[in-house]
Amino acid sequence: MAEKSGLSIGELLTNARSKVHDLQSRDADPAADADALRRLALWSLRYTPLAAPWGEENGADGLFLDITGCAHLFGGEAGLLADLADRLRRFGLPARLAIADTPGAAWAVARYGSTNGTIVPPDMTDSILRELPLAALRLPDDTLLLLHRLGFRRIADISHQPRAPLATRFGAHFLDRLDQALGRAPEPLSPLASPPVYRAQAMFAEAITTQEHVVKATTRLLHDLAGDLARDGVGARKLRLLLFRMDGEVLSLTIGLSAPSRDARHIAGLISLRLDRLPRGFEADFGFEAAGLHVLAAQPMPERQTLLTVADDLGDPAGLARLIDRLEQRLGAGAVRRLHPHQSYVPERAVLVRRASDGPSAEWASNTPSDARPLLLLSHPEAAEVMALIPEGPPRQFRWRGVLHQVTQAEGPERIAGEWWRQNDNQLERDYYVVEDANSRRFWLYRAGLYGRGAARPQWFVHGVFP
Amino acid sequence: MQRTQHLDALRQVVLRLESASPDATPVSLPFGVQEIDRHFPGSGLTGGALHEVIAASHGDRTAAFGFAVALAVQARAVRHGPVALIAARRCFADFGEPYGHGLHRLGLDVGQLVLVETRLDQDALWAMEESLRPEVGAAVVAGAVEGDLDLTMSRRLNLAAAGSGAPLILLRPPATMGTSAATTRWRVASAPAVRDRFGSFACCRWNAALERCRNGRPGHWLLEWNHVAHRFGLAEILADRAPAAGAGQDSRRLAG
Repeated sequence: MAEKSGLSIGELLTNARSKVHDLQSRDADPAADADALRRLALWSLRYTPLAAPWGEENGADGLFLDITGCAHLFGGEAGLLADLADRLRRFGLPARLAIADTPGAAWAVARYGSTNGTIVPPDMTDSILRELPLAALRLPDDTLLLLHRLGFRRIADISHQPRAPLATRFGAHFLDRLDQALGRAPEPLSPLASPPVYRAQAMFAEAITTQEHVVKATTRLLHDLAGDLARDGVGARKLRLLLFRMDGEVLSLTIGLSAPSRDARHIAGLISLRLDRLPRGFEADFGFEAAGLHVLAAQPMPERQTLLTVADDLGDPAGLARLIDRLEQRLGAGAVRRLHPHQSYVPERAVLVRRASDGPSAEWASNTPSDARPLLLLSHPEAAEVMALIPEGPPRQFRWRGVLHQVTQAEGPERIAGEWWRQNDNQLERDYYVVEDANSRRFWLYRAGLYGRGAARPQWFVHGVFP
Repeated sequence: MQRTQHLDALRQVVLRLESASPDATPVSLPFGVQEIDRHFPGSGLTGGALHEVIAASHGDRTAAFGFAVALAVQARAVRHGPVALIAARRCFADFGEPYGHGLHRLGLDVGQLVLVETRLDQDALWAMEESLRPEVGAAVVAGAVEGDLDLTMSRRLNLAAAGSGAPLILLRPPATMGTSAATTRWRVASAPAVRDRFGSFACCRWNAALERCRNGRPGHWLLEWNHVAHRFGLAEILADRAPAAGAGQDSRRLAG
């Protein structure tokens, strides 16, 4: 699309705008590009165990696959190339592909070959490369410019030049690139290491039917996994337990943890709680014949030094994390929460409620207002009918939820203005009062808006209660 | 003199025999007020035990909640570790949600607080028992339930608290009667606040009745909470205004 309008990669944005007036532009995100390329390389491990995404020197926009000894699995090189092209096209990734003897030659043909999907026969590397422009050798821009000025256009122009002067003029790297493309010098690839997979499976000689046995079997699977996890210094954050029933039914349970762990007893306890919570109960009609346990997400888990002296003034953070896990397993994810302070003058925005497994709460001491704040805050301020002696004064009596409260003493006002810097914030100024009624119960009331400003009469609301 | 010492020693023995974990000496959480601490067997609220706080009426429930939080703050001064607040959903439904800045003002370290909200009472009771496991290392657990609690359940909670050494402060609805294994039971009503010398409502006040106290004596006090030092104090002689207001209301009711 962009090429049809006459745009090209590397063009200045202002130039491009002058050609296409309604051009949409996005900032480049190299990190996301590299991540996507990595994911594509991981996917391409289906063709070969050796896949290397390109680094900066190769343009960082493709990958090498070493298909030595793999092609016959896909019906030869042509078959593999066709399969790859087809799948990439269905992903919506237009790609240029080539197969050659060396990574350098494959790079050159993929970039500068006359057709897409070229397969360079083993003895033809030299003759095909000769016809390609010098840019196909992966050279730096300034070297290319210099070569161009000297009249070198194609690889053939330099391949017969004496090597020594070329090396002194352009550096040894220049000749390395040429040799790598022609297979005269080795080019090591840095293949992607496939991420470790932690999974364990067990077949049972006799089908198991009780929850107790399932938990016991899971504990054994966890013991199998714990060694691998400990070796890599990681703990599980998310696990999936698969239970295969005799009649072909598969029960799949996913369990999340608030802190990485490889404690078999703790995780087995969570699985037991999760089994309690199954919507239709634990159904093991015919019994389970096999179980599999997969770690879906693992996180580095620092080894903790065991203290010789028991530091009982510091609570054990692992103990709390386990408690949170257990509570979340039984009560649901949203039931266990922590309060976080938030910098806002508006009372209902000044506290954020987050899931407890998201981590400990921030510092409260420096973030709290000096004025009185209620112990319980109503989720929505509730309208109250208020009678005050003077318009701008504290309430004398108020009716809330149908009950009339006589105010015996009041403190205030504390004025809290809306946050004008927020969009769509048309909140009125609030004047907050702490009032005590005749039964010595204390409430937090506010008047929204000011008298004599705007058409509407100010409204009163109850917002919270004090102990 | 000899006799009182003997009696004290015997009381300590009985206390140890009666506590759920006889080998550990129970930690006590002193109020720091002589008049109150005298009523308890171990010169303060017993650490690993169940304590019940009951609101005198529906409208006093926030006062009772505040009192429970104050007890938790007092326990936090002696014991370190996280604080769990566990409530069945209906308990605070009428009054909103616990507010972080309000809790902080009472002196609670909100950064150490874990809030648990459950749909049913039985889940809340289960969560309390879980939080009282020794490996969690909770400083104090506060809970609130709406329904009735049988003797077996309260005994279980008492045992769980004894196992961890952390006090369990349980808020119960106003109509609560009947037996329970709780070590103390408080009935709390709000009392008129006094203004400090800057004219603000500095302290909360509670009419707190210690209805039962195992191995101790019941009592009744007008307690106030010091917002700066975060501890209880005995309110001085009632302000002249408060009884007058109450009396005025009564006479109105008679007239109406």
